[in-house]
Amino acid sequence: MLAYYFRLGLRSLRRNPLLTALMVLTLAVGVAASVSTLTILHMMSGDPIPEKSNRLLVPRFDNGPLDGWAPGDEPSDVQMSYPDVANLLKSGQGERRTALFGIAGPLEPPRKDMPAFVADGMAPTRDFFAMFDVPFLHGQPWSEADDARAADVVVLGRAMAEKLFGDADPVGRQLRLMGTPFTVAGVVDHWNPRPRYYKLVGGNTFGDADDFFIPFTTAIRHEADNNGGMSCSSKREPGYAGLLASECTWLQFWFEARSAADRSDLQAWLDNYAGEQRKLGRFQRKVPARLYDVMEWMEELKIVGNDNKLSVWLAFGFLALCLVNTIGLLLAKFSVRASEIGVRRALGASRREIFRQFLIETGVIGLTGGVLGLVLAFGALALIGMQGKEVAAMARMDWQMLAMTFVLSVAAAVLAGLLPTWRACQVTPAIQLKSQ
Amino acid sequence: MEIRPILSALLRNKTGPILVALQVALSLAILANAVYIVNERRAVIARPSGIADEHSTFYITARNLNSDGPEQRLATFRREADLLRAVPGVASVANVSQMPLSRSGWNTSILLDQRQQRENASASMYLSSDSLVKTFGLRLVEGRDFLPQELVDLDEKTQDRAPDQVILTKALADKLWPGASAIGKAIYFGKSVEGMSSRVVGVVERLQSQNAPIGEKAEWSVIIPARRYGDTAAMYAIRTEPGQRDRVMKEAESVLRKTSSTPMILEMRTVDQDRKTLYRSDVALQWMLVTVSLLMLLITCSGIVGMASLWVTQRRKQIGVRRALGARRLDILRYFILENVMITSAGVFGGAALGLALNQLLVSKLEMARLPAGYLAGGALLFWLIGVIAAYGPAWKAAGISPATATRSV
Repeated sequence: MLAYYFRLGLRSLRRNPLLTALMVLTLAVGVAASVSTLTILHMMSGDPIPEKSNRLLVPRFDNGPLDGWAPGDEPSDVQMSYPDVANLLKSGQGERRTALFGIAGPLEPPRKDMPAFVADGMAPTRDFFAMFDVPFLHGQPWSEADDARAADVVVLGRAMAEKLFGDADPVGRQLRLMGTPFTVAGVVDHWNPRPRYYKLVGGNTFGDADDFFIPFTTAIRHEADNNGGMSCSSKREPGYAGLLASECTWLQFWFEARSAADRSDLQAWLDNYAGEQRKLGRFQRKVPARLYDVMEWMEELKIVGNDNKLSVWLAFGFLALCLVNTIGLLLAKFSVRASEIGVRRALGASRREIFRQFLIETGVIGLTGGVLGLVLAFGALALIGMQGKEVAAMARMDWQMLAMTFVLSVAAAVLAGLLPTWRACQVTPAIQLKSQ
Repeated sequence: MEIRPILSALLRNKTGPILVALQVALSLAILANAVYIVNERRAVIARPSGIADEHSTFYITARNLNSDGPEQRLATFRREADLLRAVPGVASVANVSQMPLSRSGWNTSILLDQRQQRENASASMYLSSDSLVKTFGLRLVEGRDFLPQELVDLDEKTQDRAPDQVILTKALADKLWPGASAIGKAIYFGKSVEGMSSRVVGVVERLQSQNAPIGEKAEWSVIIPARRYGDTAAMYAIRTEPGQRDRVMKEAESVLRKTSSTPMILEMRTVDQDRKTLYRSDVALQWMLVTVSLLMLLITCSGIVGMASLWVTQRRKQIGVRRALGARRLDILRYFILENVMITSAGVFGGAALGLALNQLLVSKLEMARLPAGYLAGGALLFWLIGVIAAYGPAWKAAGISPATATRSV
C-alpha cells in the first residue's frame, strides 16, 4: 500500500503543476540556504582529528605583569614565552611534545632557472609529525639527534617539493633557505587540514599547506623571525637574545597525552610548574595554568566566526518562513481534493489510511524539493567558494551534509504536511458525497 | 465600517490568516535585522583609510638575498628609494614599516605617565624616515609634519631608542587628551627606557590601522619618524600620478631588479587589493543577506497571493450572493483588500516584536549592534504596501464575479 501511495504522490505532483512547482521551489530554496550555510559551519567546526583530539593538549599560562590585572581575569595571551617553551620541552611530560612558530624566509631553489621566493613554513620538533598524524611521501621526519644539535635539515610539503624537484625523490638533496644550505630529510604527502588546527594563532587558519618544516632548535639558532603575532607587555632588550630572554609571548605549544586520563596528571604538573615560576617571581598574576584539547582550543579561539553563526541562524529563519509558506500551499492543494477524500472514506478507507496517503504525498514533495535543494545548495556553495580558495575549501559538501540535506527536506515537508493532512482527515464523507 | 464582519469571518476560519500573518511576521523580523546588518557593514567598508588617493597607492616589499651588514643594507635601501622616485609617474615614495588595511603590522602600548599601571591605549605603529604625511596624503589638522632633521634611521638589533617626536591621529589624540590639544604633550611607549618620552608635534585627521577593526580603535595610530633597518627586507609605499599606477608598478619592478647584483624577492600589492581582501567576508555576508531578503519578499508575496486567491475561489458563491443583494464591485474589492490589510497588520505587529527579540538574541549571542526602531518602521510600511499590492490581483478577480453566480447550482 505504501508503494502505491508513493506512486499516487508522484502522480499528484503533475496534477496541479503550478502549485506543486511553487511548493517544491519554496522548499528547495529554504533547504538550499540552510544546508549551504550549515555546510560551511560544519566544515569549520568539525573535529579535525577525531581519534586523538582529546589527547592533544595546549597549555596556557599568564606571564603578564601584575599591572592592570585584576583577580579573575583570563590569561592575557594565547601564546607563550621562550623560557616557558624551553622548560616544557625539557619537562618530559606527556608522550610527545612540540613547540612551534611560523617562519617565512627566502628560499633559493636548486634549479637556476627558478627565481628565489619567500616560502612559508613552520618550526616544530620531530614529535610534531607523529602527534598530528602527518603522512610522509618520501623520507621521514628528522631525527631526535637533529633536534638536539639544531641540524640544518628540512621537511618539505608535497606541493613545494614538486615545485622544486618535480616528481623525483628529493631526500638528501640541498636547497638554500634563509641564506643557509639545508638538507631535505623528507617530503610530507598531501596534508592540509582546515582549519589548520595545529597552529590556530597568528596563522592563515584556513590557508594552504605549509611549504616547509625545520627543527625548532634550528630556527632559533638561525634567529628566524616569527611570522605571526607577538605580544610584549614588559620591556625587552633589543636583538634576538633579548627576545629569547624576554617575557614576550610568541610561541605555541602542544602536548600529546598517553591517554585522555593522563590529562589530570599533566594539569597537576602544570599547576606545580606555575607555582614554581610564581615563587621565582616570573609569574606575577595568580592565574591557574590552563589546558585545552583540540576542540576546546578551537572554541576558545573562536575559529567559527559570529558571521558564520549569523548566516546559519538567518538561513534557518528563512527555512521556517518557507515551511509556513508550504503549509499554506499544501492546505490549498488538499482543500480541492475534499471530494476525492470523501469517496475514499465512503468506500471504507479509515482516517489512518487517508493520513498515510497524504503524508506520503508530502514526503514525495519533500524528496523532490530535497533533490532540487541539493542542486541549488551546490550552486550556492560554488558561488560562496568564488570568494577565494580559502573559503572554497570550506564550501565543500561531505556525505554527512548530503544525507542531512535529504533528512532536512523530507522532515521539513512532512512537518509542513502535518496540519494540512490532519485537516484532510477531518473531511466528512457524507457532506462531500451529498454535494456531488 | 465593515471591519466587524470581516473580523468575525476571519475568526471563523483562522488557519489561513494565521499562516499569512506568520509569514509576514517572520519576513519582517528577519528582513529588518538583515537590512540593518547590511547597512552597518556597508558603512564599515566605506570608512576612509586616511590615504588620500587609494587607487594610486601601492607598496613594494623588497628583499635582497645578499649577506650585507646593516650599514651596507641601509645604503641599498636609500638607493632603492631614489630609483623608485626617478620612475616617471611617481608622485611620492616613503619607506614604511606597515600599511593600513594590510592585516600585518605592529601595535604599541601608549602611556601618559610612566609610573601608571595600565596602558592608555594600544595604537598601530607606523615607522618611516620619510614623510608619510606627503606620501599617503594625510591631512594635518593640528601642528606640523616632521622636520627633515627629525627623521632618523635606527638599527633595531642594537638600538632601542624612543623617538623624540611623534604624530598621532585625531582619534588617538582625543582618546588620550579628551577636549584638549595634543600638541607638545608627552607620551611613553610601553614600559620603555626610563624617562624616555616622545612629544606630539602633529595630529592628522585619520590613518587607519593594519586591521581596521570595527569601532574607534580603527584609527588609533601613531607615526614615528624612524626607519628600523635591522631586517633584510624594506617596504616602500608609492603614490603615483592618477591613472599611472599599473604602469608604474611594472617599471618599478624592472628598475629594482635591473640595478641589483644579487637575486631579489619583490612583492607588490595595491591598497585596493588590501581593501578587497580585508573586507571580503563582509561583502560575502552582505550578498548572502541581500539574496535571502529578496527571496523572502518574493515568497511572502507569493504566499499572500496564493492564500487570497484560494479564499476568493472558496467564496465565489458568497460573493455572488453579496453582489446579487446589491453590493457594488468596489465593495467586494474593498472587502478583500481590507481583509488583507488586517491580516498583514497582525503580521506586522507580531513581526516587530519578533524582530526585536531576534535582535536581542543577536546582541547577546553574536555581539551584533542594537536595531534602530526606524528599520522596523520601514519594514512595516513595506509589508503593508506589499500586502495591498499582492491582494489587489485576487480582489480584482473577486470583484469581477457576476451576481448570477448566486443563482447557479445548489
